[in-house]
Amino acid sequence: METELEEETKELVIARLNTLPEGTGVSMGSMGDFNKEELISHVQAGDEIGRKIMEVEMSFLRALKDGILYESPHPSNPS
Amino acid sequence: MNRRILVTRPSSDRTTKYISVWAKKVIDLANTKGDIVLDLENQRATQQELESMVKKHNPSLVFFNGHGTNDCVKGQNGQVLVQTGVNEDILSGRVIYALSCSSAFGLGPRSIQIGAAAYIGYKEVFFFLYDESSRTRPHLDKTVELFLGPSNQVVVSLVKGHTAGEAHESSKQAFVRNIRKLLSSEASATESAAVKYLFWDMRAQVCLGQPSSTI
Repeated sequence: METELEEETKELVIARLNTLPEGTGVSMGSMGDFNKEELISHVQAGDEIGRKIMEVEMSFLRALKDGILYESPHPSNPS
Repeated sequence: MNRRILVTRPSSDRTTKYISVWAKKVIDLANTKGDIVLDLENQRATQQELESMVKKHNPSLVFFNGHGTNDCVKGQNGQVLVQTGVNEDILSGRVIYALSCSSAFGLGPRSIQIGAAAYIGYKEVFFFLYDESSRTRPHLDKTVELFLGPSNQVVVSLVKGHTAGEAHESSKQAFVRNIRKLLSSEASATESAAVKYLFWDMRAQVCLGQPSSTI
């Protein structure tokens, strides 16, 4: 069951990664810099980089679902 | 105001090059405020130079740009600048901002234990997106600006006299403004793709120690 869920999550993340335009790169600090094809390969491989990308995607989708992004973050506005 | 600000700006790969180029904008602001900026750029971003400058000039703010892990921040060519159990005592009494991955997980808490005033950093990987066509002009890359504008807001706010806690909140609000702008406008495909990484970076940033600390 977990494997099936993981595969479905991978498919979802890869579908979302496919919307990344050509010519846009992603820096992941000391993990390296990646283009769309490289990110998708890492997700498919399920390695450390791929798992981190999946974590980012799922964290964001959960936040959208929970409405976190539309809450007022702080009352003050220092600059 | 003659405050002393120590900045490390290694440039040995794309990530360090980009964040170091963007840190220059903050240095320029500090210079206009009359602060003394000690800029350890490129080959000068070493542990020896860092320790020497801290001892000689006693900076109130140390602004690290570079790679990091749970227990260290790095300089030129990935050499360690500060590491827990080695030389974290050089952070004592200072406000620290580390634009690097993960150092707020281990080095941050340890530096507070041994007397750093505040440590603002990231508990996770710091992501940013960039435009390949701007490779030779990273300072003009609008995609990078979406990320490094909000992240560098920490130092902008500190230089303007705000507390560490306020600087942290100001940075997070800058991330939120960009996220909402990209969610609500007719964003390009790149901008839409940036949102999740902006959200990740915003959530990864923490302020440890005394939030009332100033530089």
